[in-house]
Amino acid sequence: MEFAENNRISHRQLYRQMVIAFLAPFLLCLFGRGKILGLGGIAGTIAAVVILLFYVIFLIRLAPCYGDLKKTAGGLWGRLIGLFFVVYVILTAAYLLALLEEIVPASLVTGVSGRWISFFALLACCMGTHRGMQRRGRIAEVSGGIVLVGIVLMLILCIDQGEWSYLQEMLNGSRLTGKNFAESVYGILCAFSGIGLLPFVLEHVEKQGSAGKTVALAVLTLGGILIALELILPAVLGWNRLQTEEFPILPLMAGADLPGNVLARFDVLWMGFLLYSLLFSIGSLLHYGHQVIRKAHLGTGRVWMAVVIYLLSILEFNGVGIEDYFGAYLGYVFLPGLLILQILLFVLGRGKWKKKNSAAAGAVSVVLCFSFLLGGCGAVEPEKRMYPLALGVDVSQDPGGMTNGFSVTYGMPDLPKATGQDKSGEEEGNTALTINGATFQAIEAEYDRTQEKYLDMGHLQILVLGKRILEEKRWETVMDYLKQEPFIGENVYVFCTDDVKTALNWQGPQGTSLGEYLQGLLENHPESGMNQAPTLRELYHSRYQNGTIPALPEIRFPNGEIEVNLV
Amino acid sequence: MEKNTEEQEKEIRVSSSLRQNENYVRKRLENCADIQIRPMRLGGERKVDCLMVYIEVATSNMMLEDSALGKMINHFWEISPERMQEFIRNNSLGIADVKKLSTMEEVFAALLAGNAVFFMDGFDQAMKISSEGYPNMGVTEVESEKVLRGSKEGFSDSVKTNSALVRKRLRDTRMKVEEHYIGTRSHTLVHMLYMEDLVREEFLEDVKERLDAFEIDGILDSGMLEQLTEDRWYSPFPQYQSTERPDRAAQELLNGKIVLLCDNSPEALVLPGAFNSFMESSEDWYNRFEMASFLRVLRYLALITATLLPGLYLAVIRFHTQILPTNLILSFAQAREGVPFSSVVELVFLELAFELIREAGVRIPGALGNAIGIVGGLIIGSAAVEANLVSPIVVMIVALTALGSMAIPNEEFASAFRLLKYFFLILGGYLGIYGIVLGIYLTVSHLAGLLSFGVPYLVPFVENRPKNGVGDGILRLPFRKRWQRPLYAKRDQSVRLKRRQ
Repeated sequence: MEFAENNRISHRQLYRQMVIAFLAPFLLCLFGRGKILGLGGIAGTIAAVVILLFYVIFLIRLAPCYGDLKKTAGGLWGRLIGLFFVVYVILTAAYLLALLEEIVPASLVTGVSGRWISFFALLACCMGTHRGMQRRGRIAEVSGGIVLVGIVLMLILCIDQGEWSYLQEMLNGSRLTGKNFAESVYGILCAFSGIGLLPFVLEHVEKQGSAGKTVALAVLTLGGILIALELILPAVLGWNRLQTEEFPILPLMAGADLPGNVLARFDVLWMGFLLYSLLFSIGSLLHYGHQVIRKAHLGTGRVWMAVVIYLLSILEFNGVGIEDYFGAYLGYVFLPGLLILQILLFVLGRGKWKKKNSAAAGAVSVVLCFSFLLGGCGAVEPEKRMYPLALGVDVSQDPGGMTNGFSVTYGMPDLPKATGQDKSGEEEGNTALTINGATFQAIEAEYDRTQEKYLDMGHLQILVLGKRILEEKRWETVMDYLKQEPFIGENVYVFCTDDVKTALNWQGPQGTSLGEYLQGLLENHPESGMNQAPTLRELYHSRYQNGTIPALPEIRFPNGEIEVNLV
Repeated sequence: MEKNTEEQEKEIRVSSSLRQNENYVRKRLENCADIQIRPMRLGGERKVDCLMVYIEVATSNMMLEDSALGKMINHFWEISPERMQEFIRNNSLGIADVKKLSTMEEVFAALLAGNAVFFMDGFDQAMKISSEGYPNMGVTEVESEKVLRGSKEGFSDSVKTNSALVRKRLRDTRMKVEEHYIGTRSHTLVHMLYMEDLVREEFLEDVKERLDAFEIDGILDSGMLEQLTEDRWYSPFPQYQSTERPDRAAQELLNGKIVLLCDNSPEALVLPGAFNSFMESSEDWYNRFEMASFLRVLRYLALITATLLPGLYLAVIRFHTQILPTNLILSFAQAREGVPFSSVVELVFLELAFELIREAGVRIPGALGNAIGIVGGLIIGSAAVEANLVSPIVVMIVALTALGSMAIPNEEFASAFRLLKYFFLILGGYLGIYGIVLGIYLTVSHLAGLLSFGVPYLVPFVENRPKNGVGDGILRLPFRKRWQRPLYAKRDQSVRLKRRQ
């Protein structure tokens, strides 16, 4: 029937499949620890995209050779070539799964084991991947546009957070050398190596002859996004900080805000888009795995492939996991091997063509339900959390052997007053909880031992550093601690004061806490230059850039009244 | 055993001996008190034995006296048996919808369809004389697809009335109505309606094949037919559009679709079905395009709300509190103080309570049903909040979710999302936004794999060659711009509107 399973996917579906499948892996993996960044990164990306555009022409001409690998290269060689691609599919899927296992528990869902997270992801991605290409085409067509628009919109939102001076640091700090240019080109080509599976798809694409334009457009779109990010990332995070971040794309949205105060943070939505794209990538790899296995006459991969992928994603041999060796495999084995094989196939199988249908099968939803119940949950109800709006950090005042430690004060809001639900006569007041400890880990452990409520730092508005912290140059330890807390936004304003405890216990005229008061003070008086207090992001930048932090506005209490001296 | 009887019936022809026919009929209709077997002697000077067999309620006494049938009997009082036979042979009694029946299978099929059957001694055929048929409710106002603008007529329980309601709107001989009988015991009459020149042959063949694919004892509603012939029986999503509205059915016929009308069911099945068609209302084409487009967008938002809101709420308050403005999350926390259950249990509890209220409201008749809604919604809701069983925000979430689900025009389609809501609720509650993304991926993946008669469920969003003059996307085109038919119609018949030269 005209619209049914035998129908081929459209160019639009191919384009969206490519964009959505490559986007998240690229954004997450390419920019970590300054891999493909700076002038060398930008030039390398442009060059790689140009190379890929020519490579696409070759791939289109190669498509008929992939119809039946056994016929093209003979029984043994056909199977070996198939195996080569299957290994790539398995390792890449395992790598992406391991990535998911790492980033989701760390920055999105705390309290749920990463292994369960990747297990659920694999189960969801497995469903229907053995079915025809049309299904994947439809998934991409329906959701690809939304994901692409969402990600691009988010990036546009980020531009507003960028600083021209930060970008200049990148221009000044990075150098365009032959080495880093070549590394960037090769890095981008390795990242795009998945495009080598394209000939397996092309027999399902309508008007194959002109599919090259679509593929080229997808490469250009992805290249454009990569180049945009190579500019946005240093402009938002600063050049030196970028060199140290493993996944710089994740904190990119930690300081973004929209007018109207609809949502306080966008990083969760950002992660949502990235996760969807990542799931689609894993699903696509599984689908291509089935395709390759079928075309190389290797039997069926419906169960074992998923099992191997999962095991590879979680297992470590002598402390070496898939994340450690995947890059080397891609760079030294797959990419060179791919080029050799494709040239071989091109020579062996010019003009051969074979049309096939994919096999059908069932679902594993019961397993999903079961495993879901076993997966457990790390959720904490909102009323069982403490929401410090202000955090004070100072050197421990205790003379009894704790002078090297820290004193952390959490400034909590008065819940009834903050929510406008207070009744007359109820005078709870703001509460400030101070905990001393040798390290921040010890302080957190002490908090967990003594407080019934979960500490939710996601709504922190103000950070107050004690002057002694600044004088004794121990603010770096504070920065390190704050940086590892994924839920603290980077738009937190930073102040300093002589007496942190008094500051955090201070109560405003209408019972407002210090956090609310200072936030209001900074954001409601833009004309008086009061919104000049540095944010946490600026502190990070300054620290990575020149090892210092900017001068902080000081909070003082002359005659019991609060006074903020902006710098 | 049943099959054997049927095969014998096919072979047993109507005899010219009335006694033989009467014996056979009486034997078959033994203990069928609702069926009347009335012997009579008709004719002028020489009388001839005749037999009238009919279902008592389906062919009323009033009708025998007053109808064409009555008049025929009166006429037969005055003529000879020879002239009676000649009259029957040549004039088919001179009345409308009379059919000669040669075999006993045809006799019983006609009788059980609610017609009277007339035998005459010496004549080797029986006559089917159509009557009013079985009692039914007649044409009533639509209940579940109400519109402000447009016809208020709804389908009834009688398949013939329903076909007539569609024919009333499409007075064209190219609208074909094919009869099928399904069910070895129920012999349910199913009408298959289509526009001869618009429908694709492959659809027709496929529908016919599927109607014949199963042997079932009885089909009592179009819902049973739907489930029997769907591509993916396990999917919660309906793969056929169902409608109570003759104007909607007529509109879909003009789109090149096929309409199945099942006897005893006021719901017509429109096939192939597509996701977007469930989100359309008949009114969309009667209102101006700006408002219609706005309402369609609103319905999609309602669908998202109905499916995702509880799950998103749980994901945000249990995992991602940082995305809400501080005052809002503090309000949520304050509102939940003292509630003994976890937010997942609280939400599931209230959602189920709402389902109970809804179910009770549907089952309880008339005004009492409305009262249940008010009692349930207002009193139980506020009492639950005051008793600290649930927090006020959860009541709001459940109410918004319910409103969203009610704004979806097709009840069956909405119910799929009602179920899906619990799936997202659990995912959001236990895995946060990761779970929601996982759920969305699974849902999109499932929907992308669904086909209705070979047509992807997600058309027109996944159409390979989208047409620009159809207007079946989320936004409705201005009426004059809607000049093309959707992909269901034959390609050479794709133009639906053009300016006269």
